[in-house]
Amino acid sequence: MKKIWNSTIIRFFRNSPKTSIGVALVIIILLLTIGANIFTSIDPTNRFADEYHSSPSHTHLLGTTQLGIDVFAQTLFGGRVSILVGIFAGLITVFLGIIFGISSGYFGGWYDNIITTIINIIMVIPNIVLLLIVAALLDGVSPFLIGIIIGLTSWPWNARVLRAQTMSLRNREFVYSAETLGESKLRILFMEIMPNMLSIISSAFVSTIIYAITACATLEFIGFGDPLSVTWGIMLFNANKSGALTSGAWWELLGPISGIVLFGAGLTLINFSIDEVSNPKLKAQRIMRAYYKVKKIQAKSMKKLSLNNTMGRKSA
Amino acid sequence: MRYILKRLWFYILAFFGALALNFFLPRMMPGNPVQMFLSNLYKSGGVVDNATIAAVEKLFGYDTHTPIILAFFNYVANIFKGNWGVSFTFYPQTVIEATGRGVRWTVFLLGTALILGFIINSLLGILVAWKRGSRLDTNLTVGGQIMANIPSVVIAIVLSITLAFTKIFPTGYAVTPLFFPENIFQYIGDVAYHAFLPVLAVIITGLGGIMGMRANMINQLGEDYIVMGIAKGVPDKKIMFGYGARNALLPVVTSLAMQIGFLLGGSLIVELVFNYPGLGQIMVMAISRRDYPLMEGILLMTTILMLSANFIADISILILDPRTRRQGVDGN
Repeated sequence: MKKIWNSTIIRFFRNSPKTSIGVALVIIILLLTIGANIFTSIDPTNRFADEYHSSPSHTHLLGTTQLGIDVFAQTLFGGRVSILVGIFAGLITVFLGIIFGISSGYFGGWYDNIITTIINIIMVIPNIVLLLIVAALLDGVSPFLIGIIIGLTSWPWNARVLRAQTMSLRNREFVYSAETLGESKLRILFMEIMPNMLSIISSAFVSTIIYAITACATLEFIGFGDPLSVTWGIMLFNANKSGALTSGAWWELLGPISGIVLFGAGLTLINFSIDEVSNPKLKAQRIMRAYYKVKKIQAKSMKKLSLNNTMGRKSA
Repeated sequence: MRYILKRLWFYILAFFGALALNFFLPRMMPGNPVQMFLSNLYKSGGVVDNATIAAVEKLFGYDTHTPIILAFFNYVANIFKGNWGVSFTFYPQTVIEATGRGVRWTVFLLGTALILGFIINSLLGILVAWKRGSRLDTNLTVGGQIMANIPSVVIAIVLSITLAFTKIFPTGYAVTPLFFPENIFQYIGDVAYHAFLPVLAVIITGLGGIMGMRANMINQLGEDYIVMGIAKGVPDKKIMFGYGARNALLPVVTSLAMQIGFLLGGSLIVELVFNYPGLGQIMVMAISRRDYPLMEGILLMTTILMLSANFIADISILILDPRTRRQGVDGN
């Protein structure tokens, strides 16, 4: 047992509370949403016609909405779609960002100029407005189409960061030696340059998931999602439309809000620990805190020593 | 001077890019605004014959007889002439009038939130960088980042429930309706009272800037002149603000310019939840009624706002950092 407790993985989690809380939150929410059938037996589209707008009780853990649908069941089943859309949009964004960012950073020249201009122009237009107009032109979209649109409009942010990093890696010796050896460009890009940026890529992936869940919820809140689907954003939209804000039905909002906040907080904490693992200088916080503690203990013992000496007593 | 000209050239290019996007995007999407308009007209019992179809196509600029490049140039000429089209929802107001009403309040909300948010982010970032490694540092950094990652929708709803429900702050509008203030101070007080919650929501959304400021400050704190200052015996606060913060502020201003787009989107949503009469409300009304001229006008207006905010940030870097001023003279 002690060997497991001291192994490197468990020690890693023990040493950094941020990572453990983050991973725990994400795993709990993933378990709750994937295994929704175990935790609740109520169908999320079933209307309880005689129990609408009731506050939490033990049959309906989070109460019911205006239409009599159980909030807890909706939260659990809706979480599946929301999280899947987030991951899907994150994959598209990172994929496009890697392709355009690394290639434009490596090749340079006119290709780089074109891509940089496109990136700058798309970055200047506010993201949400662009999303709204594309969604409006497509006249109401399903969650996966929202994911694709988010992916297509958010890749410039990642691409810019990856491009800067590529340009700084490009002049290192190992890249020169690979080029001299005659390796194909594709191999250089994916086997030499990209593995050095894995930490940035994974951190960008996690950030994009958070942003995609946010943007999806925002779009659905305004009214652009598919009103027949069950996601966290549509729950907020229904709550707004049925006046939960003004009538004080806080339970209807508690489900989706806590889902979004807890999942986002967990992913943010994971992001912090990815940064720490890749850049050990950031571990400074823990090291400095330990350092301060040791100094404080030393200072205290020194004071006690000098006090005892001035009072003429022998040190304990 | 050359710096300003270079940036101005980029902004003009970006504006034309936005114009092109605005023109070509609806035409590339499935579904035609003309058909949608005609179907609405038919459903509400209007008469649809060839003359109507031709007139509607001309109104939208979807004229199938002129080649698309000519239509694009017509569109650009119209934009610069000031003819942005007539909106349907606010018929017969032009798009400029309809957006002009909302732009005032959005600029007020966004400007206040930007300035206050920048000050708060910088101060917190300086504090956190100075005391790095302590528990305050960890709590503020992690807490600030988590709060910044929460969508503006959720923050606005939470603020609305907790603070507005208990009637401490009003739940909506920019000024109390039907309230005629006697002097300007009452008006300002009323506006500030109504603007408190929306501004707070936008500031919370922008708290991610603390990390940037902290990273920059930590980079600066390793420099030699800071060590010299401590050795000379300069008081702590003076080193923090006078030596370190002045240099760390510049990249933060640049990243602020990039963050403005994100904050603009957030403020539009906050306006929706708090019923604030800014661009957000007009945009949602336009989108739900499929009012294409108004939607395109709002996209252009927000792009202009973003570009001018970026331009102001560039000029302020020029003012704050004498090194950029001397670029042309030294020849580097």
